[in-house]
Amino acid sequence: MLTLAIQQLLTKKLRSSLTVLGFAVCVNLYIVVTTVMRFITDDLDLQVQRFTGILFVQSRGLAGLSGIEWPPISSTISFAEAQAVISQPSVDPDRSTMVSFAALAPPPYPTAPPEALLVGIEVGKERVFLGGAGAIAGNAAFAAVPIGSSAPPAILGVLAARHFAPAASATTEVPSPVGPIALAALGSTISVRGTKFEVQGIIEPETNQLLRSAVLVPLEQAQSILQTPDSISAMLVSPRRASDIEPLQASIESEHKELMVISDRQLAENARKLLDRVNQLFDVVRWTSVSVAALLIAIVMFVSVLERTRELGTLRAIGAPRRSLLSLILSESAGFAIAGSMVGVPMSRVVISRALGPDAAGLRSKEIEYGAAGILSLCSMVAALMPAWRAVQVDPIIALRYE
Amino acid sequence: MLAESSAHQRDSSERSAPLLSARNLGRIYRLGQQTIHALRPLDLDIHQGDFIAIAGPSGSGKSTLLQLLGLVDSPTAGEVRVRDRPAQDLGGEQRAALRLGTLGFVFQAFNLLQMLTARQNVEIALALSGFPRRKRRKRAEELLSAVGLAGRMEHRPLQLSGGERQRVAIARALANEPDVILADEPTGNLDSQTGREIVQLLEDLNQAGQTIVMVTHNLEIARRASRLFLMRDGRIDEVEPGDSRTLD
Repeated sequence: MLTLAIQQLLTKKLRSSLTVLGFAVCVNLYIVVTTVMRFITDDLDLQVQRFTGILFVQSRGLAGLSGIEWPPISSTISFAEAQAVISQPSVDPDRSTMVSFAALAPPPYPTAPPEALLVGIEVGKERVFLGGAGAIAGNAAFAAVPIGSSAPPAILGVLAARHFAPAASATTEVPSPVGPIALAALGSTISVRGTKFEVQGIIEPETNQLLRSAVLVPLEQAQSILQTPDSISAMLVSPRRASDIEPLQASIESEHKELMVISDRQLAENARKLLDRVNQLFDVVRWTSVSVAALLIAIVMFVSVLERTRELGTLRAIGAPRRSLLSLILSESAGFAIAGSMVGVPMSRVVISRALGPDAAGLRSKEIEYGAAGILSLCSMVAALMPAWRAVQVDPIIALRYE
Repeated sequence: MLAESSAHQRDSSERSAPLLSARNLGRIYRLGQQTIHALRPLDLDIHQGDFIAIAGPSGSGKSTLLQLLGLVDSPTAGEVRVRDRPAQDLGGEQRAALRLGTLGFVFQAFNLLQMLTARQNVEIALALSGFPRRKRRKRAEELLSAVGLAGRMEHRPLQLSGGERQRVAIARALANEPDVILADEPTGNLDSQTGREIVQLLEDLNQAGQTIVMVTHNLEIARRASRLFLMRDGRIDEVEPGDSRTLD
């Protein structure tokens, strides 16, 4: 029966090829969507973890009415008010900083921060924003401006370094899963909205999307570029004692009604809500791909059974048991599923590499690939039971009718 | 490979229990209010070594009889017995098992699987009966050689002539060494010369001991059988093969 199943697939070459291709596209779609879902979830978790024990202060603007904006690019807090917050007794000034944000490039995918995100930060407080992240080249903290250099310092995430590479005064190539990529080189000069900066450090890439996108510059330079000398976007506020975090949140909110104070827990909840909405959409895509694959196999096998009624009747007439016909149809369906998975998995690797670029590092998951092939194959085999059942119902008398 | 030649003995029927028998076998079709007596109750015994021809015009009931004897249809009256065992109480899968091991079918339209070679078409019958995989090829080649297709084993049905296709079908029917071969108009799709060759092959098989039941509307061919039955309006009469009656 296996020979018969294989011969059937080989005989109908065009139909078999198109079915395998259709199944492969579904497998590819499922893997890509699941991988991106996992990437976004993990990355958002990392971003939230980075700010554990820190209060995030932003203005109640339009964004504040509908939820938490992350990162708070449209938030505006006056410099004086920010200083008043940071000067509160329970605030640890060494672990708190004012921050200015601005998008320098659009986000690469929904829920991601801009591909290049200007982050103005108080000199000496870089670690408040960077957490424990180090540098793969240079420093993860601003050094003094070298004598003879008029350019202030900048520390870049890898995505930002790649974004600025084409216009940087010097570049360097680094290996990546999608081949070597060019980054703005350490010591090179980049131009941010007309202001030149000297690249003093490249942040290690194994962090999160926010840090990979960051263009960290001194707060004053950011305010100058953004022409907001008297305001900032947000504050990262740490209490002197971890146990003071909730009283400090309440205190800031009561004294500064126009400010929104977000704890790490609220940030996590907000991230979860955002993820849930995105994941709902992704789930629709994933289950659509499963349904399409199952329907494809069911339809193709139904047509095949209808076309081969006489052949199936002949097999029944010469004594084929029902289980043989059942296994014949299911073997053919399995053939489509196996071949489709063998094409779909490599297809998804190419798509993921091209879609996520350097971020594809470590994203490939055998668990997701095997899972996708398994789920789609299983659902398709279940769908193939209907035509298979139809096949075993074929009356052997059909074989004896001559038309 | 065909069995070693053993003399065909017409009177063997009188000494052994029938391989296949019909007792009071009848078949009625109902179309709305209309009742069609496709087969009126009849008795028939088929013994080891018989070469039976059932001849009759279209609509006489000969195909209905073959379908009932072949266990692909169920009677509305009477019963079919296989080696004296009633078949009517058997389930679909048990009937299929009997068709696979006890009966061999040869169809008018050959009914070969187009995507398989001649050898694979024979092997499929062996595979269904669980014949050891390693020995299938050899057995299929022996059968195809025996029906005169030694040089055409790897050809697909569309690459074979009508007569060659029917020889493949006969080899397939012989694959599991059935008690009885049921041939439904085996020459119906062939020119007269090729038809005579196929009947000659069936005669040779019968001479080697194979029991054959052949349905045909060609009386000239039917007269080459050892027992001849004429059918008309669902009724059957056994006549001498040399009987001068016609089907008109």
